[in-house]
Amino acid sequence: MNDISFEVAEGTIFAFLGPNGAGKSTTINTLCTILNKTQGILKINGNDVSEQKERVRKDIGIVFQESTLDVRLTVSENLKLHCDFYNVPKAEVKERIDFVLDLVDLGNWRNAVVKSLSGGMKRRVEIARGLVHYPKVLFLDEPTTGLDPQTRANIWNYIHRLQKEKNITIFLTTHYMDEAEISDKVAVMDHGKIVAYDTPDNLKKQYTSSLMKIKVLDPLPVIQYLADKGIQYKMVDDLISIYILELKEIFQITSTFQDEITDFEVTKGTLNDVFLAITGKEIRE
Amino acid sequence: MRVINAILTRNLTNFTRDRVRLFFTVFMSVIFLFIFSFVMQSTTVGIANPTNYLISGIIIMTVFQAALNNSMMIIEDISSGFMKEILVAPISRYQISIGQILSATAVAVLQGVIILVLGLFIGLSIDILQFVKMTVIMIVVGITFSSMGLYLAILAKNSTNFQLIISIIAMPLTFLSGAYIPTTILPSFLLPIVYLNPLTYTTSIYRYITLGMEHYSNDMLIKEGVAFDLHGFIITPYLGLMILLIIGIIFFILCVNRFSKADFSEVKVSKDIMF
Repeated sequence: MNDISFEVAEGTIFAFLGPNGAGKSTTINTLCTILNKTQGILKINGNDVSEQKERVRKDIGIVFQESTLDVRLTVSENLKLHCDFYNVPKAEVKERIDFVLDLVDLGNWRNAVVKSLSGGMKRRVEIARGLVHYPKVLFLDEPTTGLDPQTRANIWNYIHRLQKEKNITIFLTTHYMDEAEISDKVAVMDHGKIVAYDTPDNLKKQYTSSLMKIKVLDPLPVIQYLADKGIQYKMVDDLISIYILELKEIFQITSTFQDEITDFEVTKGTLNDVFLAITGKEIRE
Repeated sequence: MRVINAILTRNLTNFTRDRVRLFFTVFMSVIFLFIFSFVMQSTTVGIANPTNYLISGIIIMTVFQAALNNSMMIIEDISSGFMKEILVAPISRYQISIGQILSATAVAVLQGVIILVLGLFIGLSIDILQFVKMTVIMIVVGITFSSMGLYLAILAKNSTNFQLIISIIAMPLTFLSGAYIPTTILPSFLLPIVYLNPLTYTTSIYRYITLGMEHYSNDMLIKEGVAFDLHGFIITPYLGLMILLIIGIIFFILCVNRFSKADFSEVKVSKDIMF
C-alpha cells in the first residue's frame, strides 16, 4: 500500500471500495493501530495513530472481517468484557449493554452462548460490541460479507440508525457496489492505491454516462438525427444504445420519435462502471 | 486491576464452559492419583509415610504440567480471532499477560487442590497448616510455570509447535527433579541441571512439608534428598523455596516483557473461522 491520502468529516460514512487484495483491510488495520505505518501521518480525532495508540483505541470501535467474539461466553458476557477493557463506568455497563442490544434487536438473546448463534446474529453482536463504549469512529471491515441479502439489509438498517442517533463517523470497506453507493464519500482502491476519491454521485458523473437503449420501427431517421447532433451511439440489430450526457437529451429524443419507439430503457452509470472506467477491469464479487 | 480481573474471570468462565475439558481435567487428576499410587507403591519401600510421599509428588507434577499446558489458552485465542479484540482494546500488554498467567495458575492450583482433597480420602494425613502451606507453594509453582508456558506459547505461536516444545522441556525437568528418581543416585554430571531445575526445589519443599521433616537435622535432610550439599553450602528446603521464588519472578518478568514486545500482527488468523 503506498501513497494514499484522505480526510473524513465527522458523522459521515466513508467507504473503501475495491477488489480482494486491493489494500482495504491493510488500510483499516493501520488505522486501528494493529499494523504500524512505515511512513506518513495518520490522525484520528486529532490523535496520531502511532504515537497515541491508547487514546486512538479509546475513540474507535472495530468490526473485523473475521469473527473476534469469544464463542464460549454469552452475548452479554462478551459485551461486559468489552466494557471492562474500555473502562466504561461500572454503573453504566448494564444500561449500555441493553441499549446496544436493542439497537441490533438482540435484546432477547443476551444470555445465549455466542457459539449457538447464527452468522448474521454473531455479526450483529460484533457491531453492538463495537458500539458499547460509544466510539467516535466505527470501522467496519466488510461487515456483511457472506451474509444473505435480508440480513445484509437489516445490518445496514442498524448501521444507519446508530449513525443518526450517535453521530458516529463510519469507515467501511466493501466490495459490494450498493453498500458503497450509500456512503457519503468513496475511495476506490486498486493495487494499494486510491485511484479515485469523491462522492458516489460525482464519481459517476465524472467517469460514467447514462445509457439509453431504444427499439424503433425504422432506425434510419434516428441514426441520422443522432449523427447530426453529434451524440455517440451504438447499434446492434434493431437495438440502438445511446450514450446520454444530459437528462434533457432523453426528452428530446423520446419526444421527437415518440411514435416510432417500441421499447425503451435508461440505465444510470454504476460504481462498477466507475471502477471499470478507472482500472479497466470489473470488481468481482 | 479491572482489566486483569476481567481477563481472569473470562478465562475461568471459559474453562468451566468447556465441559469436555473440565471433565478430563478432573478425570485425569483422579486417574493420575490412582495409577501412580498403585504403580509407585513398590518404590516407596522403607519410606515412613508412603501415601504422603506419593501424593505430594503427584500434586507437584499435576500443577507443573497443568500450568505449562494452560498457556495453550492464548494460542486458542490467537487462532479463534479473539486475540485481535484484546489487542485493539485500550489496555496495556502487561495487563493482558498478567491476566493470562493468573488464569493459568488458578486452573492449575484448582487441579492440585482437587488431588489434595481426594488424597485425604485415601490416607493422606496432613493438618490444616500443612494444607495451607501446600496450597501456597502450589500458587508459587503455578505462577512460575505459567509464566514459562506463556513465554513458550508466544515463541511457538501455534499449538503443534507448542506441544512439541512443552514435551521437550517437561521431560528432563521432571526426571531431573527427584520427583520420581531420587537425586542421590543420579550421575554427578547431571547434578548442575538438577540444581538449576526449579522443580527440584518444588519437590523438596513439598516432601519436607508433607512428610513432616521439621525436626530433621541437615545431614538427615540431605540423606532424604530434600536438602542439597553444594560443596559445603547446604540448600535447605526453605532456601530452595526462595530459589524457586526467584526463578519464578525471573520467568514472570521475562514473560511479561516478551509479551509486551511480541508482534501479533504476524499471526495470521485462519479465514476458515469466518462465519
